[in-house]
Amino acid sequence: MNPYNRRVGVALVVALVVTLLSACGKGGDTAGGNVGGNPGRGASNELLIVGYDREPDTMNRYATHILEDIESCIVEGLVVADEHMGVVPLLASAVPTVENGGVVLRADGGMDVTWKLRPGVRWHDGVAHTSADVKFTVDAINKGDWKPESVDGFDRIASVDTPDSLTAVVHYREVYAPYRWQFVRGTLPRHKLAGRDLNTANDYNRAPLGTGPYRLAEWKTGEYILLERAPDYWRGDSLPHIRQILFKFLTNTTTRINQLKSGEVHMVALVPWDKVRELRDVAALRLNQVVGNGYEHVSLNQKRFAPFADVRVRQALSHAVDRELIVNTLLDSLVTIVNGPIQPLSPAYEPNVRRYAHDPAAARALLEAAGWKAGTDGVRVKDGTRLSFTLITQAGFAIRENVAQTLQQAFREVGAEAKVQLVDGTSISALWFNGNFDAMLHWWQQGADPEITLFFAGDRAPPAGRNINFLSDTALTALLYRSDRTVVESERNELLKTAQRRVADLAPEIPLYNTSKIDAIPKEMQGFTGNPTNAGPFWNVHAWRIAP
Amino acid sequence: MMRLVGRRLVQAVPLLLVVSLLLFTVLHLVPGGPLSAYLENPNVRPEDIARLRVSMGLDRPLPVQYLSWLAAFVQGDWGYSYADGRPVMDRLVERVPASLELIGAAVVAALLAAVPAGVYAAVKPRVDRITGIAAVAGISLPVFWFALLLQLGFAGLLGWLPSSGRSGFGDRGLADRLSHLVLPATVLAAALASAWSRYLRRAMRETMGAPFIGAARARGVSERGLLWHHALFNALPVFTTVVLLDVSMLASGAVVTESIFAWPGVGSLFVDSLARRDYAVLMAFLMCGSVAVVTLTLVADALVLWLDPRTREAA
Repeated sequence: MNPYNRRVGVALVVALVVTLLSACGKGGDTAGGNVGGNPGRGASNELLIVGYDREPDTMNRYATHILEDIESCIVEGLVVADEHMGVVPLLASAVPTVENGGVVLRADGGMDVTWKLRPGVRWHDGVAHTSADVKFTVDAINKGDWKPESVDGFDRIASVDTPDSLTAVVHYREVYAPYRWQFVRGTLPRHKLAGRDLNTANDYNRAPLGTGPYRLAEWKTGEYILLERAPDYWRGDSLPHIRQILFKFLTNTTTRINQLKSGEVHMVALVPWDKVRELRDVAALRLNQVVGNGYEHVSLNQKRFAPFADVRVRQALSHAVDRELIVNTLLDSLVTIVNGPIQPLSPAYEPNVRRYAHDPAAARALLEAAGWKAGTDGVRVKDGTRLSFTLITQAGFAIRENVAQTLQQAFREVGAEAKVQLVDGTSISALWFNGNFDAMLHWWQQGADPEITLFFAGDRAPPAGRNINFLSDTALTALLYRSDRTVVESERNELLKTAQRRVADLAPEIPLYNTSKIDAIPKEMQGFTGNPTNAGPFWNVHAWRIAP
Repeated sequence: MMRLVGRRLVQAVPLLLVVSLLLFTVLHLVPGGPLSAYLENPNVRPEDIARLRVSMGLDRPLPVQYLSWLAAFVQGDWGYSYADGRPVMDRLVERVPASLELIGAAVVAALLAAVPAGVYAAVKPRVDRITGIAAVAGISLPVFWFALLLQLGFAGLLGWLPSSGRSGFGDRGLADRLSHLVLPATVLAAALASAWSRYLRRAMRETMGAPFIGAARARGVSERGLLWHHALFNALPVFTTVVLLDVSMLASGAVVTESIFAWPGVGSLFVDSLARRDYAVLMAFLMCGSVAVVTLTLVADALVLWLDPRTREAA
């Protein structure tokens, strides 16, 4: 053999060995369960496989920035929002109100909220869940060296008293109307976390100790999270019905839907609207639809595009849009038209507001009255300014891109020009957060509490809030702040209803339709209800059952 | 040879510094940041964003952020992920085996296809026509489209193979792992083999026309021997360089393939981190990619020196 041959031979052998070694390197993993994960096998009470659109950043409910679907199977809140958006006590034995004596307004302007905890609840390690955990949670968040996602409400708490192991009295410095949702993300186990740095407590952050129906069995980074039934669940030994839930991380929407069709996953939460049609005929599936607590709308930034500061211009653009056409054709009637920021599910919803029917003639008349005269190219002009603005929306949402084009056409017909610009998801949030856009087609997904101050109060414009229309109305702002300081629910709702009527008159944005939530689940699944809020469909996972 | 390696290593240091500055600048020019993701939650107020910005050190001037990153990075402290708070090193390292497995399988498969295709295409016109068409198709098929097509066919319609992931859950035998590997490795290998077979064909044709082949033929060497022995070994240096350069590009992860097949390698980590603007992970990932390109280019040059005595004299 000549020397070259030998060298080539050696090189090839080395390459082959390296490749084989790397391929076998991870081959010895221990099996995570004894249930076969054969593709195509149907859902059962042994195993439910969920196709999930992303991997959680952390399993710590207070620190995560994304939906808490997986976390909420493990860590329960003191309350949860049900399928009608009602507040249901979970680890609390009742929801405190002024009427039941749970909420006391103090003479100094503050308030005391007394949470009675459900007796007999234990953490998964057997330690009792007590009011000390509630106090520890508040202290941990308010200490300031940890990075929870939001400290809303907690920053108004002065202290927590624990007169007995099942009673926590939360002392607020000021009246805080959304107090009922304060502990919707649950509590932190004091016996596990006291004295530790929560930022780096990765044993807890990756596999939290909870009281819920499931506990974390395995988190295979980049692949899946497996939950298994927790023993001795407080609702009773027979619950939950399903033994294991596997969340497969499938970021690519097409892959996720393909796996649903091939039976490799049994369930997908929040199916994109444009994929609903192709799933309707899949025999193994049922599509569960609930009205979501969010609404698609066009924000009109008065600060960046001055003509929007004239209410007549905003009302004219509202009249220009044929929302029925959009809902019936582009969205296959999967959603319903809405007229304001608080959704029909909410007890604070006001149906009797000013509505803007599709009426191009009225739109033109309003623009004429506001001094906008037809220009040579069909776009109206006033004092040398063309009624021309940029409409941004998130790229990658096929339906939204179509809606944007329909809006563009509708505005064009009354003499306004919208230039559509598609922006990726992360970039668009930076744009709206700083108020750097003219008009934006987007949605707000709201929490179960009907607070809208952050979105419409005059002093809550960027960078101080989400009033990205830059609406500044003294009467509305006063109403909203009054509602935030009113804890009797019926009184608060009256204030919010007045506020909704005011918002509709001012037309700061163009509301289009609600964000219905469609979940694809196994046909034989019982007990599934879906959920309109960010609580997500897993809020009652303990009750789910596969019953062929 | 040692001189070449030494010279290249010295050149690499300023090169990587410039690359790091460019990457850092470009990443921060893109709108949005690690905190953008938090804005999806309506309960997150600007006060919360301001608090998180300070606690994550994102409120410092960019040059300060760059210098503190650089100082820590060269000392081996790659920082913590903005997305999940874990050490960047851990996040990258846990993804490496999956990427090596996929790239290794794809490269072996591509070589097994490209070498015979390239060699025979050089001498047999009919083979040349067929492999030529296949190669053009392989090069021009968009990876994401080919991937979705395979998913639809083999996982959706036929149900023979899993459409994504690296292993099933529960049963993780060799057969299970191989079945998961087939589709993503095929997608990657198809693109590689298409290009490589054409490079090899060209190198082989040039060599087969060289006078020493005629001389060997006159000495009575068989056609088979000419092709697989004399010609192939002379074509190898060029081919090796191409292969190693391609592999160095893949070392930063087969981004699209991994993403579509939910393959838990560094490529899909990169896609997720880009969407999150997780600067810490992105910088570490891109710097590793740059180092891989520099290193494998050096290895390619050294290998050519070793395989081809003529270049040694020139060096």
